[in-house]
Amino acid sequence: MLDALTHIGTLHYLLVAAILFLIGMIGVITRRNVMIIFMCIELMLSAVNLNLLAFSRLWGLHGQVFALFIAADAAAEAAVGLGILIAFFRNRTTVNVDEVDLLKW
Amino acid sequence: MYNHILSIILFTPLVGAFVLLCIPGSNKTAIRWTANFFGFLGFAVSLPLVSWFWAVKSLPGFKFMEGAPNSWIPTIGAGYYLGIDGISFLLIMLTTFLGAISILSSWSAIDNRVKEYYAWFLVLQTGMLGVFMSLDFFLFFVFWEAMLVPMYLLIGIWGGPRRVYASIKFFLYTLFGSVFMLLAIIFLYFFHHAQTGVFTFSILELYKTAPLLPAVYGPTAAVLLFLAFFVGFAIKVPMFPFHTWLPDAHVEAPTAGSVILAGVLLKMGTYGLIRFSLPLFPAVVHYPRLRLAMVTLSIIGILYGALVSLVQKDMKKLVAYSSVSHLGFCTLGIFTLNTLGLQGSVLQQINHGISTGALFLIVGILYERRHTREIAEYGGIGTVMPVYATIALIMFLSSMGLPLLNGFVGEFAILQATFLARPVWAAWAVPGVILAAAYLLWLYQRVFFGKVENPKNAALPDLTPRELATLLPLVALAFWIGLYPRPFFAILDQPSKEIVEMVEHPKTYNAAQPLKAAQVAQSAVESTPEAVR
Amino acid sequence: MPPSSTDYVRILPEIVLAVWGMAVMFAEPLLGPHTSRKGLGVFAALGCLLALGATVFQAQPAYAGFGFYNMLRVDHFSVFFHCVVILVALSTTLMSLDYLPAHKIDKGEYYALILLGAVGMCLMSSAVELVLIFIALEISSIASYILAGFRRHSAESTESAMKYFLLGSFATAFFLYGVALLFGATGSTNVFRIAEVLNTSAHIEPLAYIAVALIFTGLGFKVACAPFHIWTPDVYEGAPSPVVAFMSTAPKAAAFAVLIRLVIDTASPNWFWVIWVAAVLSMSVGNLGAILQSNIKRMLAYSSIAHAGYLMVAFASASNRELGISAAMFYSAAYAAMNVGAFAVISHMAGSHERFSSIDDYAGLGRRSPALAAALTFFLLSLIGIPITGGFFAKFYVFSAALRTHLIWLTLIGLVNSGMGSYYYLRVIVKMYMNEPRTTAPVPPVRLGVGLAIAISLIATLWLGVWPNAILHYTQGAPTILAGK
Repeated sequence: MLDALTHIGTLHYLLVAAILFLIGMIGVITRRNVMIIFMCIELMLSAVNLNLLAFSRLWGLHGQVFALFIAADAAAEAAVGLGILIAFFRNRTTVNVDEVDLLKW
Repeated sequence: MYNHILSIILFTPLVGAFVLLCIPGSNKTAIRWTANFFGFLGFAVSLPLVSWFWAVKSLPGFKFMEGAPNSWIPTIGAGYYLGIDGISFLLIMLTTFLGAISILSSWSAIDNRVKEYYAWFLVLQTGMLGVFMSLDFFLFFVFWEAMLVPMYLLIGIWGGPRRVYASIKFFLYTLFGSVFMLLAIIFLYFFHHAQTGVFTFSILELYKTAPLLPAVYGPTAAVLLFLAFFVGFAIKVPMFPFHTWLPDAHVEAPTAGSVILAGVLLKMGTYGLIRFSLPLFPAVVHYPRLRLAMVTLSIIGILYGALVSLVQKDMKKLVAYSSVSHLGFCTLGIFTLNTLGLQGSVLQQINHGISTGALFLIVGILYERRHTREIAEYGGIGTVMPVYATIALIMFLSSMGLPLLNGFVGEFAILQATFLARPVWAAWAVPGVILAAAYLLWLYQRVFFGKVENPKNAALPDLTPRELATLLPLVALAFWIGLYPRPFFAILDQPSKEIVEMVEHPKTYNAAQPLKAAQVAQSAVESTPEAVR
Repeated sequence: MPPSSTDYVRILPEIVLAVWGMAVMFAEPLLGPHTSRKGLGVFAALGCLLALGATVFQAQPAYAGFGFYNMLRVDHFSVFFHCVVILVALSTTLMSLDYLPAHKIDKGEYYALILLGAVGMCLMSSAVELVLIFIALEISSIASYILAGFRRHSAESTESAMKYFLLGSFATAFFLYGVALLFGATGSTNVFRIAEVLNTSAHIEPLAYIAVALIFTGLGFKVACAPFHIWTPDVYEGAPSPVVAFMSTAPKAAAFAVLIRLVIDTASPNWFWVIWVAAVLSMSVGNLGAILQSNIKRMLAYSSIAHAGYLMVAFASASNRELGISAAMFYSAAYAAMNVGAFAVISHMAGSHERFSSIDDYAGLGRRSPALAAALTFFLLSLIGIPITGGFFAKFYVFSAALRTHLIWLTLIGLVNSGMGSYYYLRVIVKMYMNEPRTTAPVPPVRLGVGLAIAISLIATLWLGVWPNAILHYTQGAPTILAGK
């Protein structure tokens, strides 16, 4: 028991990643500000990266390469996302998802 | 031409539809002439078939076969495969004949979007002919579904005030029916594969394996499959609980649409019962309970249709409900499962096409003049339009089954066959004949007899030559079948025997020893006699 | 060892599309602000044609196989989806030629984005390496996000882009998390290696189950199958019509390709029931939702959910590889053809600011423009599944595949659904032919671009319905190769 607490293994990384992912997910669902939702999605991606790095300890470099690609992709997504956000803000002057309501479910 | 007569008959109307599309829509006269030309041509090209078929009528099996199994989509085993026997021959002749007459009858009734109307009508012809000719289940289903669209549009665009409701109801009903049929077709297709190792939709091949169903999967599965087919066909016929789309569709459809709907479309259902339900499920149709259910539904249809006809205030609706009653006789004939019953049933289908087609034309002629079909609006028409009244009388009598006219022959054969099968059933069906006399004569009396009470009816013009030309061929046919039905029975003799034989002693592959593909292909070749091909 | 020339042939369509896309990007700023961008569009269409040629070239047996160190694989399967994606891109480009100036968004980037998006989708269908699949997925998604918001002065369009972006990247996160877990459970990022591990090891890590569920969630978003469908109607309603034609078909087909490779081909644990449930839900939700709609784009959005459901039926029957997978392939092609056609007509009818997108606006179209009405009717009939259209044969094939694998209940539910679904398509036909026009304003004349797009879809739909044999044969060749290691 003590060993599990003092010796940091792969499982610990995975747990942290899972917690991060959950925090991100809950944030996406509950938050109202688009910017914060966006950051929560980034958080989820970070969780994935952490996972991949942890698995790299077991399986080799593949995971680390993958993580690099995800980081690059997250940057691209951020650029596009912010662009869309600005276009939206110009039209509606709000970043609150409760007011994103022109198109009804 | 001899070898490709079926394809020629099948595609002549379709070619006509394409030719029509090339004519500018504003030139209505040209469109009408062209459409009538192709309508008549469609009938004309089917005429050589009469003498040719007569020569080979007593040969066994299908005749004038064309194409081959698996020739269309070999990957799944669907083929362009046509062939006819006596039953389909008569129905094909009825279709081309009524098609020409309906197109002629639409000359002045349709004045709106004339081009589309005729084009769709001709497409509909091809669809119906294809149903009667297909020897491949896939092809059959394609035609069966494809003819839905033109009929839907004919009702929906050129119909009466409630046309949208009626057309959608028609479409959805039929679509739901065919969905279950499709399921059953696919099932039989895989069942055939399981038995023989061959994927094919050829009906002739499926005939040989489908009867094994109860032995392999048990009676329940067989009954369920039978019912899946039955629902598809019964909706089309329509048999009693599935008939509610029919009055709506008939009342709202334009006259020519009603003629084709009653004359040909409904026959697709009975044709399906004869061609597929009986030979594919010989054991199932013998189950006493199921057969009793079928017969009961038929008899309910006969009596219910007749009783509802009695109380109708709208002439067209009356004729529509009388169809339910008449088609009840046809299905009753089918489920007697004997030769005479089948012959009578097919003959009665032809008769119904002639008489009810004529009745719809007759109602349509009056409607064109007065724009109402309320019976109460009329009275004393006999004195105003004597020629019209005479022809109407003949067709009314034919429809109610008076001796010397066509209706009698068919109904008598069916009732005789029913009596042979089970006297009680005949006893239940006979009141239908009496009721038919009641509602038709009463209708005739209210419309044609008496004084002209309504001033609007005082100066109605009698039949124009064109209208006469649409009705006289029908009258002639009614007398022909009434006086000399022997050729018709002669044509129906061979196929009815074959179907009864298939129901009583189905020829199947041996379930225990699946056949090799080579053998199956061999037997497919053998089943087509050289003389006929 | 540097990549061989054969390797380059294996990505030749992607190279062509990417080069053409970048060329369009470079040309855009060189043109003056008031010059028409139609030339760029034609140039992009040319690129699509070339890419199509490259795909045909690549289809020779000599080039089949793995390329770029087992990153991708050329086989019947990938060639088939390449053709679908490129043809959709071509039609979209053609129908946009006159749409863009009419909506005052005549910008060259549009064509570039379509071409680059197509690169991503093509790669998705040939990738067999998780990293590459992920990157291809992102290329296609990011292009779609921007395209959805391309009418950037319209609040609806930007709103649709934002919803698409937020939910799309949310889904990507799920997908990635699943991929990471799959990597952890199997120790490889190569699809075939993963399949081997999953199929041979006696003990399957519980991680693999979670991974499959997460991957399915992510891809479910992309293909818009229930219960991950909620973004679809909103995004489709707001996005420009040609873009909807594009993103309702091409990325979906590509995502289905990934789904087949990643979930079904690896014989992932427990995939069957997940797909069964998704199929039933999608069909029912899609059809019920569509009945209630009054906006034609929203209606077709729900219908696309229902069609995703029919496709799932094909997947559920993939235990019989030959039938199930080829049915799914055929269905995606047929759906692409008919849906692109329908949206081509809609984008022509939309008018400035997409004003005319209510079903009521189609009243009397049969009188106002018989040819357009006939074309739309044909596509709608195909969506219903009436014979001689591709839609009929596709449905027929899917349901026979399902029956073959004894999924009787699924088939029944699907058939009843498809009967029910016919109602809302019929409603549009009723409007077009049986109601009087609301306005007397003439329908704008059909220009060459839209006309060509409609013609391509029409021919494709008809061809798939009347002579499906060749394509069927080709798709049936795919799964066997797919299974081979």
